[in-house]
This record gives sequence, C-alpha cells and structure tokens, in this order.
Amino acid sequence: MNNTFNINRFGLLLKRQWLDFGKIYLISLVVLLGIVVGFYGYNIPSPLKDNYLDYDGNLDMRFRYPLFLILGFVFISIVASSYFNILGQKSRAILELMTPASIFEKFMAGVVYTTIISLFSYLLIFYLTDLAFVKYLNGHLSAFNRAGLKTVESITQEVFNDEGYRKYCSYFFAFPFLITSLFLLGSIYFNRFHYIKTALSLMVFIGLASYLVVKFSMWIMEGKVPYHHSYRKDDKDWILLALLLVTSIITIITWAITYIRLKEKEV
Amino acid sequence: MEFRDNKAIYLQIAEYVCEHILLGKWKAEEKVPSVRELAVELEVNPNTVMRTYELLQNKNIINNKRGIGFFITDDAIDHVKSYRKVLFMEDELPVVFRNIYLLNIGFGELESRYETFVKENFNA
Amino acid sequence: MININNLNFGYSKHRPLFKNMSMRLSNGHIYGLLGKNGAGKSTLLKNLAGLVYAQSGTLDVMGYDPAKRQPALLEQICFIPEEFYLPAVKIDAYIKANAPFYKNFDHNYFTDLIKEFDIPVGQKLINMSYGQKKKVIIAFGLATQAKLVIMDEPTNGLDIPSKAQFRKIMASAMTDERCIIISTHQVRDLDNLIDTVIMLDENDIALKATVEEITSKLTFKKVKEIDDSIIYAEPSLSGYNAVMPNYHQEESKLDMELLFNAILAEKIKFKPLFS
Repeated sequence: MNNTFNINRFGLLLKRQWLDFGKIYLISLVVLLGIVVGFYGYNIPSPLKDNYLDYDGNLDMRFRYPLFLILGFVFISIVASSYFNILGQKSRAILELMTPASIFEKFMAGVVYTTIISLFSYLLIFYLTDLAFVKYLNGHLSAFNRAGLKTVESITQEVFNDEGYRKYCSYFFAFPFLITSLFLLGSIYFNRFHYIKTALSLMVFIGLASYLVVKFSMWIMEGKVPYHHSYRKDDKDWILLALLLVTSIITIITWAITYIRLKEKEV
Repeated sequence: MEFRDNKAIYLQIAEYVCEHILLGKWKAEEKVPSVRELAVELEVNPNTVMRTYELLQNKNIINNKRGIGFFITDDAIDHVKSYRKVLFMEDELPVVFRNIYLLNIGFGELESRYETFVKENFNA
Repeated sequence: MININNLNFGYSKHRPLFKNMSMRLSNGHIYGLLGKNGAGKSTLLKNLAGLVYAQSGTLDVMGYDPAKRQPALLEQICFIPEEFYLPAVKIDAYIKANAPFYKNFDHNYFTDLIKEFDIPVGQKLINMSYGQKKKVIIAFGLATQAKLVIMDEPTNGLDIPSKAQFRKIMASAMTDERCIIISTHQVRDLDNLIDTVIMLDENDIALKATVEEITSKLTFKKVKEIDDSIIYAEPSLSGYNAVMPNYHQEESKLDMELLFNAILAEKIKFKPLFS
C-alpha cells in the first residue's frame, strides 16, 4: 500500500470532505451570488441615474474591478480560513486524523478545496453574473436615448482583449494562491477565531516587513545611488516579475509550513 | 445468567453447563454452543468460556472434535455428578455443617426435611 | 501487536504523565485500562492511535509507528473516543463516504450491528441521542474489521439494555487476530469482558495481569473480621470485602473495583506479587 499518495484514496477523501463541507459551501456560494448580483444591480448604469458614463463616454462599469478584487479576497480567504478549523475541535479532529488517508492527501484535499475549487467557483460565479448583466445592458442600450453609445464588454473581454492589461494581470497570478495559502495556514495554526487572528497577524507582519524593507533599502542606498526621474519601462517589468516570483515562493513556503503543521497536529 | 460474586466466572459457567446437562437440556453426544456463542449469550470474554471448556474437557464432560466443536460425552451425566459431588463436598457442605453445628440442628430433623423436599420437588 | 518501550510523555515538559513506560499487548485479548482521573488513560490510548506524540521512547503498533499516521495502519485501528463527532447526514451517507477507506469493511456485519443496537436506519445522525450516536460509531468501527480496537469509556451514555447489547457485541467481536483495549471507570459494566487488567498510576503501569493470574495470586472474599493476612478491605453490609493472598488455591471472582482501590491504597504490598 502506498502510504504517501494514492489517487483512489485521494478521490475518496475529496468525496468525504464534501459530505462535511458541501452543504455549507453551496450555501456560501448562494450568498456570494446574491452579493455579486446585489452590487451589480445597484451600480449598473441606468438612464434614471445622472452619471452613467465613464470619462471615455462609455457606460460606466468601473465598479466591477474593486468589487471583483475585494469580494474575491473576502470569499477565498473565508473559505480557506474555515477549512482546517475542524482541527480546532477535539472530536472532529480525531475523526479527521484517524481517517485512513495519508497526511499528504489530507493536506492536498485542503489545497484543492481552498484554492482550486473556491477560486474556480468564485471566478465562475462572477463571470456568469457579469455576462448576464452585460447581455442585459446591451439589449437595452436604446433605453439610454443616446446616440453612438458603445456596447458594453464583459469584464473578461475587457481584461483579456487588452495586451497591457493581460500582461499586467499575469504578474499577479500568484496572489490569490498566496491569500488562500496564508489563510489555510491560519486555520490550522490557530485553534479559535482563525479569520481574525490570521488577518491581524498578516497586517502586523506586512506592516513590519514593509517598514524593515524601507529602512533597509534606505540604509544601503540613501545617498549612494544617483536617482533620476527618467522612466524606464524595463525596470517596471523586472519589478513585476520579482513580485510574481516572491508571491509564488511565499505561497509554496506557506503550504509547506501548513503541511508540517498538519503532520505535527496533536489532539 | 446472573453471576454471583464469590466464585470465579469460569467456574460459574461450568456450573451453568453442568446444570443444562443434568436437566437434560443438552443431551449426550450433542454439540454444545461454540465458545463464541456462549460468550455472547453470557456477555463474557470468550477466553473465559475457553477456560471453562478446558476444565470440562479435563473432567470428561465434553470433548473436542477437531474442526467441528465441543460435544457432550456419552457418560457426561456421571462425570457431571462426580464433579459436582466433589464441589459440593468441598465447598458447600462445610458451610451447611457450620450452620448445622451453630444452630444445633438434629440429624433426625434434617432427614425428615430432606425426604419432604425430595417428594415435593422431584416426585420421587 | 503493540510494543511500548520506555515511553515518556507529558503535555508539558514539567508535568510528565508517563515515565519510561514499557508494555507489550498481544492479540486475542480484551484489555481493561483502569486508572484514576488524570492518570492518563485517554492519553495512553491517544499515543497508541498516533493522535499525540511521545517525547521519547518507541511505540510499535503492528509494525508501524503510529506517529507517522500511515493509512495502512489507520485502516487497522478502530478508535472510539469519549467525545466524538458525526456529521449531520443519514447513516447510509456516512457509510458511503467513510467505509471505502477500509478495504475490509463488512457492510452486512454493520447492518447486523445496527439492528442489534436497535438503531433506526433512516434517521439522520444529528437527530440521534448521544447514546445512539455512540452505538453508530461503535458499529462502524467494528465493521471496519480493524485489528486494533481502542475504546475510551465506551459504555458512557449507553442505557441499561444497550450496555448488555454492547457486552454481547464485544464478546463476539473478540477474535484471535484482534486486540481490544477498553478504558473505563464503570468496571462493573465490563468486568466479565476484560481478560487482562492494566492499571495506570503515578506515571507508570501499576499492574498488568490477566484475570487468571490475579485470581491465582489473590483471593477476593467477604470476611467477618479483619486479620493480618488481609491486604486490603472495605466494609460492606455483611462484614468486609477483602483482598488477601491466595494461600489455599481458592478460585474467587475478581472484584475489579476492590482491586483498583486496593492497589491505589496498598501499592507496595502488591509490587512483589506481580513482577
């Protein structure tokens, strides 16, 4: 018997976890859908409002970006931070740890649920809602009584049709994974109030880290490097690439720590 | 079965089996319940029943047919009686004697009591 | 089956619970684990199941180190904790999700056990009483055919008929391949099931002996008066319940509660008898 990873057993584990999480997860998806629809319904351009145009003279759909980012952060972080919280309850933790699957499989099930499934379902729900509203708007353009009004693009079209956007976004590819991995770690690290504690620790950590980085760079560079205002595009690309790399690495490290915590979890 | 609290369980189970044999519930050459069956019925550890069966085997009350189970021997009743007699003489009689002595009971009274008891209970 | 060697364990460094504990447990037995509150009964069971980790020493369960939590070992352990959790689903949904992890899971046996325990099959687990839920996890655990059965206070929360059902089920579950360890305060519920007594006290095993060994060395009986031969006695209605050395090869019934109290009170006198 393979004691590290067996695909059948892993499948069984995913199915079993669904028994525990499935219902609450589906409910949270419905809530999510409600929130997205609510925000769209409230913010969508309408002939009854005064300002429904953005500065390009198109229908103003800019509310979508902050909504997508903030709601996305909240949703995936909540899902991730609730996954291992069962290990904080003694009786559930015993059942969990005594299930005949390897630690690696149990960890991977956590990653699959909190990262792949939650991210995918978030994107899907957002995409579908957006598409529905965009279709609806485009079908009712005449209601605005305005000549030359362009049809609205869906958020995916907007992002992916523009090369600049596309490139820019790809550098932030690892961010959602970083968020879920950190909150997943928080859910196993803390026994209670996982979300608040994780969020607080992150804020303190980021604050401290930024302070140190700034201080450190000032210490090594201040007065030593001539600075000029000329804009160099290459630099920016390089920094974004570093961002992608650093976020990916931190994500992987966080996952590794989570795995070790799971391995060392005692009840 | 209600266990008393003064005698080892495996001996009490032996008595239980003997009782069944004497009363004719389990007959000669019949199969007795398996160790597990009797353990379940009496809610005791199978090892205890095994110990009982070993004892009864030593007393030639049951025998083990390999692979089939335990069976009551032909002359089980005689063996049960001699086994029980030893037990009675060694364990119970001293207690009775003690009371007879302490309470000053005459053998004549005992004899007539014994005869009525047999008449009432066994129609002999 | 189980080999414990120089186990040291404590929830904190300064308060050790077990000091250099060693013990061997083999299959074909029902072990009764006794001890005062806080003596570490549950903790010992958790060590065996790999739920907590020893500070030092080795633990060998069927050739595995339980601390590694390998599936091959986990599927051979049936662990019934005192406080347990069952998801809010119906029994068959629970079985469907959990049974496939155990390749020897016996569905017919499970159905028989559920019937024996009088549990309504269609009922949701969440609507069941504590005792009913407990019976479900016991039935599930035994149906996995696990070789090591660990139960922490299994009769807690069971009503009187259920206790009898439980004893019957355990009597039939005991096979030569199985090792069953039951911790309990309610020794009266289980004393005829247990064939070997393990008693924990003062960071170690105070006694580990079969019922046969104990009753061959000690005799338990009612006496009118206390004399020097008696190791320990408790007053009762008709005199005293006493423990004394078995001088005359008497075959008395082990009184587990009395033994328990006797060992706690007179540890030194018992040491030479069982070593």
